[in-house]
Amino acid sequence: MTFDAISIAGSGLSTHRIWLDSLSDNISNINTAVSPNEEAFRQRYVAVQADKNGPGVEVVGALFGDPEGRLVYEPAHPLADENGYVRYPDIDLGEQMSHLILAQRGYAANAGVVDRAKATYEAALQIGRS
Amino acid sequence: MLESVTSAALVSALDGLSARQRAIADNIANVNTPGYKAKRIDFEDALRASVARRDGHVKATGRESLDPTRLDGNNVNLDVETLSNIQAVLSYQFATQAVNGQFSSIRTALRTA
Repeated sequence: MTFDAISIAGSGLSTHRIWLDSLSDNISNINTAVSPNEEAFRQRYVAVQADKNGPGVEVVGALFGDPEGRLVYEPAHPLADENGYVRYPDIDLGEQMSHLILAQRGYAANAGVVDRAKATYEAALQIGRS
Repeated sequence: MLESVTSAALVSALDGLSARQRAIADNIANVNTPGYKAKRIDFEDALRASVARRDGHVKATGRESLDPTRLDGNNVNLDVETLSNIQAVLSYQFATQAVNGQFSSIRTALRTA
């Protein structure tokens, strides 16, 4: 428990990093086409909750978006079916980018807490010296 | 002198401020957690009353913030939390200096004997 605030901020850092990872996975697969008889790339959502066993935050799992995606008429595409359609994931890039900003800012805020907690603990270690 | 109101009050302040820092770390870690309610730590008013009674021993109390929530049920304000974090850090450093000042007075008193 000695340096609690640092590990609490650490849980926030890793949660936001996992969120950033899943967002970048979603964005990198935004144009991943498959043939219409396969499932589209499923967008990943990170499920989090306040840590049940004390302060901090924890990732409790991943939820996946809809495998339906959207059908696009691209007859020249090598994966197109006989009607000329291919399946793309239905991911909203604007939403992903705004979540990316939230995740990045959340990560930076937690990094700031680590810095300030360190300054406090350093002050505490000076008690009784002089 | 070794167990004066001042040292008791300083210890209470250090405890309260470090509890507040843990609460702020918790709040910022949960800044994007749906349904999370910000935690607040109170001790200043109780400490002031306690010092007036010449006691100085105070336990910090926690509560949930009643601030309005966002659409996801979370009511952490990053600006508020960051500011009170900085304030808590500086107050903590200030209190450690005061503790050191107490100790050096005691040391001076011991030397004059």
